Amino acid sequence: MKKLNLTKDQIQKLLLSSIGFIVLLYVYFTFFLGPLNRSRDSMLMSINDLQGKVGSSKNEMMKATNLENQATAATTRHAALKASSPEGAPIAWFPPRMKAFFANQQIDKATARLEGSIPFKEADLADWMRYNWMLDLPQTDFATLGKAVAELENTEPLLSIHRLHIHAAADDPQFQQVNLNVATVMLKR
Amino acid sequence: MALHLNLLHEEFQEQRQRQRDPLKIGMMVLGGLGALMFLYYMFNAYKTLEIRSRLNAVQHDWSKVEPKVTASQKRSAELNSIIGTTKVLDQIIDSRFYWAPFLEKLSRCVALNAQLMSIDGTVLEDNRGVNVMIEGLAAGREPRAAAEELRQLLLEQLGQGYHDVKVEFKTLEDLDTLANIGGANMAMARFGLSVAFNPSASALKGPSSPKTPRK
Repeated sequence: MKKLNLTKDQIQKLLLSSIGFIVLLYVYFTFFLGPLNRSRDSMLMSINDLQGKVGSSKNEMMKATNLENQATAATTRHAALKASSPEGAPIAWFPPRMKAFFANQQIDKATARLEGSIPFKEADLADWMRYNWMLDLPQTDFATLGKAVAELENTEPLLSIHRLHIHAAADDPQFQQVNLNVATVMLKR
Repeated sequence: MALHLNLLHEEFQEQRQRQRDPLKIGMMVLGGLGALMFLYYMFNAYKTLEIRSRLNAVQHDWSKVEPKVTASQKRSAELNSIIGTTKVLDQIIDSRFYWAPFLEKLSRCVALNAQLMSIDGTVLEDNRGVNVMIEGLAAGREPRAAAEELRQLLLEQLGQGYHDVKVEFKTLEDLDTLANIGGANMAMARFGLSVAFNPSASALKGPSSPKTPRK
């Protein structure tokens, strides 16, 4: 094998060429190929991501359609329950409503007093409030009261009687005075 | 053998020196590598451009679908919320205690020789039970027996619709006054009854029927 005899000048040039080669590789990978590959990789990731989203979106829309069909009964019921809370503050419409209700049941002079309101702890009932009322029926007879209570419980699904106090009127034992503690569930207005 | 004289010996030497100049060879190698790298870069750039156009197409598709998806997600959340709310409200409605059937049962138990003076009923928290205090008067030859009859009847009637029914006397005392029933004077007794029961089974039966209770 022929021995390669290099002069000092040639060695210097060889070193210079090697350095140039390294610099070329560095510049090529750092400033050209690297950013290009990174950009391509990020675009591929975006494509995968978007394709996944487009794919799942079809399921999502199908689910929403199915849910819409399944929830028909619930939405109708929810709308009906919401409709039982008219616009405005409950203190403005609930006492007159109760007065009219009992007057319809032949019990006059019924009054309703708001005793307090508390929010629900359940997250599902964030838009609803529990209102506690005291209903006073100064004069009624037992039969009329029974019918009125039945009608009240049937027509006001969101109302529950927590305490009932019936006592005979002092001057006329045929009639009774009645106090009802009721709780109603109403939409926050 | 002919004699060859190389008079250009030094020139040939220089030419050979130039031909194997490492810098020149290095530059040529670098140039070659550079060209290869450039070609590879162009190939990659072309592929990247192709991917970019695919990305644009997918983005375009997504921009068309996204509003629908967002609306669907919003609607789904809304529907889930409605379903949850309705479920909880239904639970509240179903767990109510209906007083009308109780008053009806009570009215059936009160005979002509008994009179109720007051009824005080309370639904315990979380509908765990109902407590009712009943005060009244009973009249008869044996007024205490009349009161006991009322207690027994209450126990029987309430036992048909409710669970864990307890009807106990809190007070039962004879009175000095007499009551006139059907033209005959009868002795009287005052009684206080404590009624406790669990309505859970009956509360789930549904709304009360508007029947006419009597006292």
